[in-house]
Amino acid sequence: MKLKRTVARLLVSTALLAFVLFAGFPVYWMLNTALTSDTELYKSGQDWWPHAERLPGVPDALADVPIGDWLLNSGFIAFGTTMLSLLLAVLGAYALSRYRFHGKGAAAFLLFSTQMLPEALLVVPLFALFGMLGLLNGLGGLVLANTAFAMPVALFIVKSAIDKIPYEIEESARVDGCPRYGQLTQIVLPLVTPSIAAAAVVTFFDGWNEFLFANTFLTDSEKWPASVGLATFVGQYTTPLSSVMAAAFLFSLPAIVFFVLMQRRIVSGLTAGAVKG
Amino acid sequence: MSNGTVDGAPPEAASASKGARRPGARRRRPGELLGYVFIAPAVLYLAVFLLVPLVQGIAMSFTDTRLINPAGGEPVGFDNYAQALGADRFWNSLLATLLYTAATVAGTLALGTAAAVLVNRAFRGRALVRGLLTFPYAMPTVAVALVFAWMYNQSNGVFNRGLGVLGVGETGWLTDPNWGMASVVAATVWKVFPFVMLVVLAALQSVSAELYEAARIDGADALSTFRSVVVPHLAPTLRIVALLMTIWSIRRFEIIFLLTGGGPVEKTNTLVINVYRTAFSDQDLGLAAAIGALGLIVSLAVTCVFLLVERRESQREEAS
Repeated sequence: MKLKRTVARLLVSTALLAFVLFAGFPVYWMLNTALTSDTELYKSGQDWWPHAERLPGVPDALADVPIGDWLLNSGFIAFGTTMLSLLLAVLGAYALSRYRFHGKGAAAFLLFSTQMLPEALLVVPLFALFGMLGLLNGLGGLVLANTAFAMPVALFIVKSAIDKIPYEIEESARVDGCPRYGQLTQIVLPLVTPSIAAAAVVTFFDGWNEFLFANTFLTDSEKWPASVGLATFVGQYTTPLSSVMAAAFLFSLPAIVFFVLMQRRIVSGLTAGAVKG
Repeated sequence: MSNGTVDGAPPEAASASKGARRPGARRRRPGELLGYVFIAPAVLYLAVFLLVPLVQGIAMSFTDTRLINPAGGEPVGFDNYAQALGADRFWNSLLATLLYTAATVAGTLALGTAAAVLVNRAFRGRALVRGLLTFPYAMPTVAVALVFAWMYNQSNGVFNRGLGVLGVGETGWLTDPNWGMASVVAATVWKVFPFVMLVVLAALQSVSAELYEAARIDGADALSTFRSVVVPHLAPTLRIVALLMTIWSIRRFEIIFLLTGGGPVEKTNTLVINVYRTAFSDQDLGLAAAIGALGLIVSLAVTCVFLLVERRESQREEAS
């Protein structure tokens, strides 16, 4: 019996280790590549262990790639997407959580259906629409397009948080004469701040990571976000690969840090939309 | 348009919420009008940026619109549909979509559930391990494509180097028609399995301790506890995750586009990649829109089947 338990424990530990290696290896390999010179990458072969002593050289290597400008553009798109999405999402979440009205089911379905519509199918008509409105080749147009896909997710994250607040709190505020918008801004919003933060993280990195619209709508390389700029290097090995990997790591780091911090709330919102739809 | 929705509210609800705007007004339940006011911006936004383009796209599929003049284009009836359905490329692309979807859903569900069960146990450093396992999901797709393209590289990539140590010859993971699809699926599964893990983990943690306790008192061992307590509890969650994974796989674009661009020899040319290439390489917006509309029908059909199964299953579970 004791032996059986030891064997089981050993198996579980091995499986866990395998998972950690599986999930972590590509991230590790990205870092390792960033710390390897091109001669080693293409000729003598990449070491399995990273040359940590080369870390001070990374900032210089980054100069091979205009990553700073790209990240600024990514940041602009991400920030705009977050602000616009949160404004629409908080109001909509409050309506779906607290009001009964005709067509509520239809509204919820419309919001959920965005999960089903492939961006690649909408990119053609959006391209035509934005062409007419003069929104092509601008970061503002990308904010508008990204918000359509990011906002519903934010809305469901915030809605599932509002659902958990007992309505009696607002009820008593109402009896005390607090107007409706005051109940939203002074009572409900402070209570759901953590979920709004999670929704902000999701929408920010939706905008930060977005590639398809940016790659299609922007013709001017000065306006490229990091996703489009870095994508030009996939499978191309003319620019020093170590610089490209260092830039890609810089691009990934904020997304990884924020997501790991917020994972639980983010996931609950992503599935909540599906349950209600 | 916003007036239209507001006018749609029944009169008594409208007057009730008019009262609600006055401080101190008494009202038994939230009126309808304010609900419309709060939901209107989000709904109108989606109408303008999703529904209108969707309708325009479907309209475009009946014209001969080209990329050079996206606003022009003459009506051509069902010509684009006939052309799409008559070409091997469409059927190949449908097959690629189904293969990619089936493999990705199976892979992410298997790995995600396994990881969730492992991480659900109490052990030292659990939070750290859980954080590490979510890295792939958090990483931007473009960065994932960059590092996987490098790892898959034929002469210098780490996979072929590792296999070379074992005496296996070089494989063109992204260029060999036999391996292209499998390589793209593997990269996708790596990226997406943490999502399944997190959702299943949340469901596992909601299994109450009493249930485990009851099973233990009944003398159940770990495996039969898992089968008779945990699995039934997980079933509804797994169905929802499977639905999400399916929908997301059908629409997934970036990682396939970046790794293979639909190649080698169209082995990974899924419907969404096909649409994009037809529109922006062949510059045929009309045909692209027709393929897109057909793809949307596929994706709606799959969702309907899922929702029907879901309804039947949940009724069965309630009955038993």
